[in-house]
Amino acid sequence: MLVPPASYDARLINDLFGIVYVLSFIIFILVEGLIVFSVIKFRRRRADETPNQVHGNTAAEIGWTVAPALVVGVVFGFAVDTLGRMTARGSPTMPLAHVHNINDKEALRRIEEAKQVDLVIEVVGRQWVWQYKYPGGNVTANETLIVPANKTIRLDMTTADVIHAWWMPAFGPMLYVNPGEVSYVWFNVPPGEYIGQCNVFCGVAHAQMISKVRALPEDEYNRWFQEQTAGVSGRVAVGDPQRGKDIFMNQNICWSCHTIDGTKAQGNVAPRSLTRFATYDTIAEVVPNTAENLRDWLHDPQAIKPGTAMPNLNLKPQEIEDLVAYLQTLR
Amino acid sequence: MATISIPARTDYMKRGIAGWLATVDHKRIGIMYLASTFVFFLLSGLMALVIRLQLAAPGLQIVNQDLYNQLFTMHGTGMIFLFTIPCLVGFANYFLPLQIGARDVAFPRLNALSLWLLVFAGVVMEGGFVLGILGLLPGGASNAAWTAYVPLSNKQFSPQIGMDIWLLGVVLLGVSSTLGAVNFLVTAYTMRAQGMTIWRIPMFVWAMIVTAAMVLIATPVLTAALAMLIADRNFATQFFNTANARLWQHMFWFYSHPAVYIMILPAMGIVSEILPVFSRKPLFGLKAVVVSTILIGILGFTTWVHHMFVSGVDPIVERFFMLTTMIIAVPTGVKMFNWLFTLWGGSISLKTPLLMCLGFLSTFVIGGLTGVIQALIPLDMQLHNTYWVVAHFHYVLFGGSVFGIFAGFYYWLPKITGRLLNDTLGKINFALMWVGFNLTFFPMHLLGLMGMPRRIATYTGDRGWDLGNLIATIGAFMIAVSVLIFMANFIQSLRRGEPAGNDPWEGNTLEWTTTSPPPEHNFAVLPSVNSERPVRDLRLAAAGQPPAASREH
Ligand code: HEC
Ligand code: HEM
Ligand SMILES: [Cu+2]
Ligand SMILES: [Cu+2]
Repeated sequence: MLVPPASYDARLINDLFGIVYVLSFIIFILVEGLIVFSVIKFRRRRADETPNQVHGNTAAEIGWTVAPALVVGVVFGFAVDTLGRMTARGSPTMPLAHVHNINDKEALRRIEEAKQVDLVIEVVGRQWVWQYKYPGGNVTANETLIVPANKTIRLDMTTADVIHAWWMPAFGPMLYVNPGEVSYVWFNVPPGEYIGQCNVFCGVAHAQMISKVRALPEDEYNRWFQEQTAGVSGRVAVGDPQRGKDIFMNQNICWSCHTIDGTKAQGNVAPRSLTRFATYDTIAEVVPNTAENLRDWLHDPQAIKPGTAMPNLNLKPQEIEDLVAYLQTLR
Repeated sequence: MATISIPARTDYMKRGIAGWLATVDHKRIGIMYLASTFVFFLLSGLMALVIRLQLAAPGLQIVNQDLYNQLFTMHGTGMIFLFTIPCLVGFANYFLPLQIGARDVAFPRLNALSLWLLVFAGVVMEGGFVLGILGLLPGGASNAAWTAYVPLSNKQFSPQIGMDIWLLGVVLLGVSSTLGAVNFLVTAYTMRAQGMTIWRIPMFVWAMIVTAAMVLIATPVLTAALAMLIADRNFATQFFNTANARLWQHMFWFYSHPAVYIMILPAMGIVSEILPVFSRKPLFGLKAVVVSTILIGILGFTTWVHHMFVSGVDPIVERFFMLTTMIIAVPTGVKMFNWLFTLWGGSISLKTPLLMCLGFLSTFVIGGLTGVIQALIPLDMQLHNTYWVVAHFHYVLFGGSVFGIFAGFYYWLPKITGRLLNDTLGKINFALMWVGFNLTFFPMHLLGLMGMPRRIATYTGDRGWDLGNLIATIGAFMIAVSVLIFMANFIQSLRRGEPAGNDPWEGNTLEWTTTSPPPEHNFAVLPSVNSERPVRDLRLAAAGQPPAASREH
């Protein structure tokens, strides 16, 4: 691994890598060495050379059948042992982080019992964004998941459309998120910023399906969580284009699908550029381009234009207000 | 036994375009296979260059994301179904009958049908792709990757007609390769020269026998899956609905893992032909190589779930497939060591065909080792769908199959055209290809370990992936130059290449007893065989030496 392992599972994977690298390297050197040596030592020197006609050697055949078989056996042993110790797969009550049927109550219960966790977060993958829902249901997030550091977190992952895979290289294991099923990831990581992205090809903007994790010390996390809960019920102030731009370019992922000339937003998932959006007659060529319609659009694009490729980004009322203010400056 | 050297009667090569279209001659069909698949190789290669350009630096927009997805879908599909598999079939068409001393294949008309199905499917698929780019095919070509996982490939998420065209194309290719497989099996079984007992069958023929058997078992499953998906898309059936989306993966990989062996075994066969000739020794451990080939063919069907270690399969089942996958390394290793000890103690002539084989050996070993590494479930959880995997399968398919195919070109084209290729150009071709290949694909291992997923149309500059990608792109263009050099070499050899004569390499197998190119029915007198190296026996007899090597096994 070239990403420093941050979780227990990632460290296990890293150790196993260490073993197989050494073994592979020995075999690699042996084979390449034999090639180079033979080519130099046995190259043809005289046109009429006739080498000894050796047809084979039974002892050698047995040797190079048995030796690789032994190596394979040993490595298999190491791999099974690692599997047994991994959080993602090892627990005897719950050997696989996967429930095949979203309605299978018994399996869901076994997942609950498999491991003590401090926090459960629901994850929904959709084309092309990861969305997170914290306990209580009021706090949501896109793309960046904020968690308390050094706590055991479980992600309950589902998909709204095709197969995706939520994956943080620094955390180790990945698992597909299949339609109609629930997949689980456990991790416990030190404070820090981590980045990964969707690992199953899921359509046009698969490359933009980034996921980030920010692990905060517990008190900082608690403060953040309080702010979020307050933000939902708090009063909505008049939109601020500057804040809106920041949401568009940094806090949210609008930039990854849309183009606005002269900014970092150079995505090409959306058909029309937003550079002169305020001058357009319609939104998404279905409803007139008014502030009210724009609010509705940002609140839930599918409700305005079913089947559109623009996802519902779970924007908060204040964010919508700021984005509307910003979008209306684009002429 | 009669000496078989009659004046070349090559006028069947000259009978105009109609003669080619209507031919059922296995050599002409072989030539058309090789030529058309080479064109498909160039097309898929061009797509790879665009892919590499787009990824050369972060944030490039040379093509838009949708087109990028179409590009890697068609690149992968084309390289596998339109180039590697049928190109090796092309070699088999030309050389399998010659090597077993037959006048043609068992079913010449069926053979022509396989060829034209391939050409038709290729034209439809590549044509659909081009129409898409020109904007004449609404929604463009298929863009769901060569694996076409459901639900992404179903009507809801891939509504475009291009997806159906792709599916139909692959069905036709499946039919074509099934017909070819029947033909080769029957030919090899019934039409071998007198005296060609089981341990005297040439290695390339053995490889094709096992390959054909695999095609017969595996292809129907893929064809069924494709037909079911076509029905899902167009007739509202529910074969692959949400509740059994994984079924597609099982059916797809039940074919597509064996497909790896369908692509590598014939290339291994070519290598097993060339190494003995260019080191003037018999193949070391011939029986062990044959048995390993058969074992690989059988075990190849027991490993497909290794592509699904992270898609939610039962854990016990997974461990079983981890073990079976690792076991395949054993017969593969046996072959490797037998090749190495064929070289050992030989009199090695470093001509281009041998160099290409060394390219095969030196890179395939990396693909083999990375394969075992990936087979370990804990490691696969980290590596799955990253650029590590892209590196791994290119080390197997390019480092293995493509170097094998180029070895075949340099070894056998003189028999087909009657003229030698230039060996110096060949060496330059080899050096550029080998260096370019490693520059392109070695860094991808590291990119994968840094967490770069495959199939992404672009990436940002903050991930540390810039350098590896830049090197890979430079390498890809070196490969492109090496292929251009090969083409230049081929053209100059047609114009003014040295005449090859019957046997330019001191070959072992029967194709070298007849003229280059061979006459219409290959042999004036059907040859008979006394050892696994009949042509060497003839050479020794002509030189007045007793055929010493006809040691019975
Ligand atoms: C996953 C890609 C994606 C993301 C992320 C995304 N959009 Fe969109 N957006 C689209 C697409 C596609 C359309 C065009 C919809 C249609 O015509 O069906 C669109 C349309 C729009 C439109 C109407 C544009 C027009 O041409 O009429 C606005 C405004 C808009 N998006 C704003 C936003 C904002 C603000 C965000 C961030 C909160 C955002 N989008 C995030 C894909 C995306
Ligand atoms: C000419 C040199 C080649 C280059 C530069 C090249 C490059 C690439 C790259 C960069 C990808 C990854 C694309 C992505 O995931 O975004 C890819 C995918 C692929 N390549 Fe190649 N390749 C070459 C030759 C070959 C050959 C010879 C084969 C097979 C025999 C092959 C088979 C594939 C397959 C099957 C895929 C996967 C496509 C998919 O993900 O659906 N390639 N290639
Ligand atoms: Cu994705
Ligand atoms: Cu496989």
